[in-house]
Formats: sequence, C-alpha cells, structure tokens
Amino acid sequence: MFQSKKVGVNMNSHDRGGNGMSCVQGDSGLVLTTDPKPRLRWTVELHDRFVDAVAQLGGPDKATPKTIMRVMGVKGLTLYHLKSHLQKFRLGKQPHKEFNDHSSKDGEIRGLDLQRNTASSSGIMGRSMNDCNVHFTDAIRMQMEVQRRFHEQLEVQRHLQLRIEAQGKYMQTILEKACQTLAADHHNNMPSASVSGGSYNKLNQGQGGVADINLGSTSMKDFGHHELNFPSLQDLNIYGGGDQQQLNMDRSSPSPVVDHQQHSHGGSFNIPLNNSESHVMGVKKRPNPYGSGKNPTSLMMWSDDLRLQDLGTSSTSQDHHHHHHDSDHPAANSMSEIYETKPNLSGDHATETSTTASDLNNKLERPSPRRAPLLSAHDHRVKNPLVVMHTAGANPMPQARNSPFR
Amino acid sequence: MDMVVDDVLTELEFSGYSTTSTTTTTVTTDDEYGCTWNDWSPVVDWDELSGPHDDFHDLIELMIDDNSTAAYHHHVGNAEAAAADAPEMGVAAAEDSKGLRLVHLLMAAAEALTGATKSRELARVILVRLKELVSPHDGTNMERLAAHFTEALQGLLEGAGGGHNKHMLGTGSHHHHHHHDDHHQTDVIAAFQLLQDMSPYVKFGHFTANQAILEAVTHDRRVHIVDYDIMEGIQWASLMQALVSRKDGPPAPHLRITAVSRGGSGRRFIGTVQETGRRLTAFAASIGQPFSFHQCKLDSDETFRPSALKLVRGEALVFNCMLHLPHFNYRAPESVASFLCGAKVLNSRLVTLVEEEVGPTGDGGFMGQFMDSLHHYSAVYDSLEAGFPMQGRARALVERVFLGPRIFGALARIYLARGDDERHSWGEWLAVAGFRPLSVSFANHCQAKLLLGLFNDGYRVEELANNRLVLGWKSRRLLSASIWTSPDCDFFN
Repeated sequence: MFQSKKVGVNMNSHDRGGNGMSCVQGDSGLVLTTDPKPRLRWTVELHDRFVDAVAQLGGPDKATPKTIMRVMGVKGLTLYHLKSHLQKFRLGKQPHKEFNDHSSKDGEIRGLDLQRNTASSSGIMGRSMNDCNVHFTDAIRMQMEVQRRFHEQLEVQRHLQLRIEAQGKYMQTILEKACQTLAADHHNNMPSASVSGGSYNKLNQGQGGVADINLGSTSMKDFGHHELNFPSLQDLNIYGGGDQQQLNMDRSSPSPVVDHQQHSHGGSFNIPLNNSESHVMGVKKRPNPYGSGKNPTSLMMWSDDLRLQDLGTSSTSQDHHHHHHDSDHPAANSMSEIYETKPNLSGDHATETSTTASDLNNKLERPSPRRAPLLSAHDHRVKNPLVVMHTAGANPMPQARNSPFR
Repeated sequence: MDMVVDDVLTELEFSGYSTTSTTTTTVTTDDEYGCTWNDWSPVVDWDELSGPHDDFHDLIELMIDDNSTAAYHHHVGNAEAAAADAPEMGVAAAEDSKGLRLVHLLMAAAEALTGATKSRELARVILVRLKELVSPHDGTNMERLAAHFTEALQGLLEGAGGGHNKHMLGTGSHHHHHHHDDHHQTDVIAAFQLLQDMSPYVKFGHFTANQAILEAVTHDRRVHIVDYDIMEGIQWASLMQALVSRKDGPPAPHLRITAVSRGGSGRRFIGTVQETGRRLTAFAASIGQPFSFHQCKLDSDETFRPSALKLVRGEALVFNCMLHLPHFNYRAPESVASFLCGAKVLNSRLVTLVEEEVGPTGDGGFMGQFMDSLHHYSAVYDSLEAGFPMQGRARALVERVFLGPRIFGALARIYLARGDDERHSWGEWLAVAGFRPLSVSFANHCQAKLLLGLFNDGYRVEELANNRLVLGWKSRRLLSASIWTSPDCDFFN
C-alpha cells in the first residue's frame, strides 16, 4: 500500500504564503490542490509506481487509465489524473515536447528557486523517462530536496508550537508558585482583615509595600491577587495619572469575598474577587490601570494569566463580577481577544486543559492580531531620533510618539 | 572664541540637528562624511575644542536652554536653518528636536565625564538638567531611554571618584537602592511575562540554543547541561518537551542539568537556584522526562572551577551560556571566561552562547561605545514598542525592571573598560581560544524565522559566519546566538 511517509509532502507549510492556491493532503498521502481543476502533484515515488504499472500493463500504448488505476491501487487517484499523466507520458517519450503542467504558482518558500526547477523537472521527467540522463537525476534530486525542505519546515513549525506551549506551561508554574508564596507571606503577616486608609495610602506611595495592606479574604488565592496587584501597579502610577493621594475609586458593592473598606481604596483598584472564578484562574483579576484617566481605550497587556478590568469605564463591573468578567467589560473583552488567557493557572485543573490546538494557535497567534492594524500606523514614521539622524534624507513627518494611541 | 565654538557647532549641525528644519542637509552630510551612526562621535570631536572651559559651558548652556533653538541657529550663523526653524517647529518637529536635544545632552554629559576636557561639574549640571527633562515612566521612547541613561551616567559620576564602579557590575538591582525601591518580586514576574510576550528575544535565545543541543545529542542516552545562569530555568522547559517527543534516537534520554550558582549576590529574579531546580524537577516529572538537577557553586569571585562539576561517563556534555538576554544582568568578564575555559578543559561537546551584538565602534573609546550603547537600547525600546504599541506603561515597567539596570551595567562596563582596546564579543573569544564553530542547521534557522514571524516584521534574523544567528531590529543587530564545539572534541568530525 502506498506509504504516506514516502510521498513528498508538498504542502504550503504556512499560511503566510497567501497566493490563493492551497494544498490539501488526502488520507492516502496524496497531495492534491484545491483549485478548480484538481491537480495532483506527481512526486517521484508516485511517478515510479505509475511507470511500474504501465510497464506491467505492457507499455504506455497498451495501458489505459482504468487499468493503471487498478494496478497502482492508490487511493484518491482518479481517472482524470491518470488520463492526463498518461497522455503526457506518451507524448513525453518523444523528446521534442516539454511539459510544464505542474505550475510553480504555489512556490511559497521564499528564496527557493528550486520550485521552478521542480516544474521543469516534471517535464524533463516526461521527456526522458527511461533514459539515465544526468540532467534527469539532477532534476529529481532537486525536486526531492525541495520536498524535503517543505517537509522540514512543517516539522519545525509544529515543534515550535509545542515548545512555545511548553514554555508557557512552565511560566504558569512560576506564576503559581509566586502567587502562593506571596499569599503565604501575606497571610503570616496579616492577622486582621481590614483595610485602613492610611495603610493604603502608604502603599500607594510605594513604601512598605504589601505588608501594610490588610485585606480580608477567605481564600489564599485572593491574597495572591492582592499581592500581585498592588505592588506592581503602584509603581506604574496608574491612578488616573493624577495625584496619588487623592484616589477615587468606584466604590460600588464589594466582592462578597473580600471585605474591602473601599472608601479607603484609591484609584482604579477594583479587586472583585469571585470565588468561583478565582480558583479557576488563580491570578486573573488585575484591574486595568489605564481604564481610568487619560486613555480609556488603551489596554495594557499584562501576563496571560491576568485579566484586566476596565475600571475607569465600567462602574457596573462590581455588580457583575460573579459572572464572567469579560462579558461586562468591553475593553476587557477586546483585550482578551487579543490576549488569550492561559487557562488553568492554579487549582482547578479539571476545568480546562492547556493543550488544545486552539489554545496553541491562540498562544501562537497572540501577538499577531495587534500587528496588522498597528503596524500601518507606525510603520512609516521615523520616531527614533537616533534613527532619524542616521537615515539620510529622513522626512520629518508628524511624530506618532505621543499619538492618540497613548 | 567665536571661531572655536563655530567649528564645534558646525559639526553639531551636520550631525543632524537641522534635520527638523531641512532634510537635504542630512543627505549631504551623510554623503560627505559617509558616516554611519557609530562614527558620529569622532565627527563631533570635542577634543578639537581647545578653548577654555567657558566656551564649552556656553555651548552647553545653549543646548540646555529649551527656548533657544532659534538663537542657537543664529549663533551658528546658519541663516537658512534659523529661518526655516521658526515656522516649522510644529509639534512633530518639536518631538524630534526634543529627542535630538536629549541625545546631545547625553553625549555632552558623557563627554564631560570622560573626554579630554573632562569636567565633573559640567557633567553634573547637564545631568541635573536632563533629569528635569525626562522621566522613566512617561514620555516618548527617547525620553524614557534618556532617563535611564541619565541615571546610569549619574551613577558613573558618583562613582567616578572611587572604585565604586566595580560594584555596578553584575549584582542586579542593588546599586539602585538609592534611586528607587528594590523591584518587587511580582513586578519582576510581571515584567518578565510581558517581556516574553512583547518581544522574541528570550525565546530566540532559548530556542536557538535548544535546537542546537537537540541536534547534537540525537543519539545519546544521557545528556548533561551545565548552565551558567539558569535564572528561573525557563529555557529547559521547551528542551525537555522536545527530548520527550523526539522521534529519532533513543527515546527519553536522561537529562541532567547542573546550574552554576553564585553565593548570595542579589538575585533579581524569583527565588534561588534551588527553587529553580525544584520547579524543573516537577515539570520534568509532569511530562515524563527523566531528570536530575545539581548545583555547582562558583567561587567567591565568581570563578568557575571545572573540578567542582560532577561528571558521568558516557554523557554528552553541553555548556550553555546565556549572557545578555534582556532580563539578565551583566556578569563579570572573568567569571564568564572561567566558565568557557571550563568548557574547553572538560571537552564539552557543545557550547551554546547567546550574547548581545555590539556594533563596530572603531576606536571611538568611551564616546563611541556610549553612542553604540545608546543606539542599541534605542532599538530595543523601539522593538518593544512595536510589540506593545499602546501599552506604554507596560513597556515602562519592563524598561524599569530590566533595561534600566542593564543600561546602568552597560555604561559601567564601558566606563571601566575605557581606554582599553575595542570590545570583543565572547564569540570572538571562543574562536581565539580554539573552539570550533558549528553550523546552524536549516531547521534552526527556519525556527528562528518562524518565531520572529509571530512578532513583528521589524525583526529579522541573519545567519552570520556560519555558526551564528543574529536577531536584529530593523537595521540594528541586537542578539547573537552561536554554537561551538571544544577544540579537542571529535564528535563532529
């Protein structure tokens, strides 16, 4: 039976090629294209079988597509394929014709001009089928090389996905560990469970760090939340870009879990901790520091495992934090589209697995959605004064650095 | 006095200051001088300035004064620039000019610190002014970059009196304590995650090295990797995954990792080497990879002693040397040298080296390397911005946690080494020491290209010298990953 391994896999390895014609690999390992006329890629192996079959049947003139098909016994091979190939084979036995039927339209690995040679090599094959022609073997070798490269590139891509995923899983363990460590520390330091304005403000000033915050919580992970939230964000000066002393915060209903005394909180801190969610995605809920203040539309991309809430714009968030956060936060929604959450940071492993193909794709593709629209905005502008000075004739275009994006 | 100042100012003008007013000037300039960015320092040859301090001071005063741009040009006597100046100073051009001004101020400060007409007082003045102009948290890329460079120069200034500079190397955030709080652990974690998501540097270094390792050990049952700076061990997660799922060669080879550990220096990152070991062990168990973890302590002066290593017969020995990933500190050169020497002594089959790519600085001395460094980190900032264009604060966090200290360390190194010969890369060191380069495989190169494709088109990878992949941003090469084998190892013959 036809071994799929032996067939050269002539697939477009990446969708970045994008020239409209794509290849599909059938079950039998045949390579078919999906444009209107179903073209089969006649690889060396396949062709060898064809030649064998033809020989068995007594030569190209005696053999018919039907009999060839039966003898070859290759799934997916249709009469149409065989008819045309047989015709070429017959004609090809006469050296004056050269066939370039196998077009090089789908040359997609850049820089591999071997693709064109592949095309002509098929013609050469047809022409000098039974001659031990040096040119012929070279062409075959080139074609095989091309196929090998295609195959290898596919392999590389597959491995890359797996490796990135493995790295991501490992990062999760780091984050988990850090979460738990901090929660443990905090828990040890913090007997009481009340938030005092003074301590909070102290935190905001970047001193004393987390140890000054007393937060009530019923779960360790919630502590983890807080730990992660406060120290980092304070440094970012997130409070609406304004005075850290005067922090207004959405003071709506507190989370049932966390007993905030929210009048003392500042800025855009909203840590609605939802029990059911928090243990699914351990360190998920980080407030979006950019929701309030200057730039309501910008989203900060934190780690995969940390979702943002667009606090400044959504005062209803607190009411709905029981449910899926994303649904109530348009900003967070779009953010999560761009920044796919890694499932399963801590705790509940049963709910999600991190190895689905779509996750892989998401993780893999994650940076891409940002690229297209944003590149166009930034591409042509020479923002870096060093670069400006360096490139001759740089046109002082309007700068985008303090663009509305920020 | 006028003439002397004029000379300098004329050259300054050529160096692009007038870019904001006319474009043609720049073109001629480049053609005339045929200079690249790195050659500018020699062009702006402050040493030619032989006048007394006053001239210098006046010049700096002019530069510092924000409102004097027009006056500046008038002073130069370039009517064209001055005339064009006023109407065209729109916001955009102002941005450019501010960036340029910052660069010039930085250059002036650096020059004041180390140039022939050295003046610590002048440097101090300039740095004060710079600090008023920039902040590490907001503003443009250039402004934030300038803020970190300012801080670094400030550190040099303060340490210039004594041998304090040596402390700036390789101990992470300690020297920052007087500037701001130690980075909170969660900051560091968050910044690291962000760094990985917004740029390919970390993955590039790790994956390229790992692929080379995989290819070198395809038929081995035991692999021993000695890691110079394991940090949190993330590089080995993907290697383990690849080992577990490899098709050719004996399945599930035993992996042994020896992490080089340092005594008690401030670890900026999470936890200790022991914790990393535990984490790796747990991860290996979770994917079914036979694994064992060891530590190898460096001497107090961070010298690596090959005798401290436990070796097993029949294992494939790999020395992994990640040096300049963005979240790494600089390590003392002697320490790195001792590690690589150890590889040679132990006949390591493979040495994987990832280091930052330095530009050709010619004989620019401190200034040349300073400018090169400025250019380097400016490219890094740009690349981060391309990855997260809207998330300025996130980038500021990454910059603050990782790049700021790096810049600090970079300048300290350059400062210490000023007057020495041109900087050499560790790759060159290995070549001189007799290590043989191993060529980068097609799969490795392909993987790098695919990886970069996930990020931004501005990144590119080049294969240089047959055994190196260099990651670059736009036209600036940033990170180099190279593979070598020991001089006496005959595995690859």
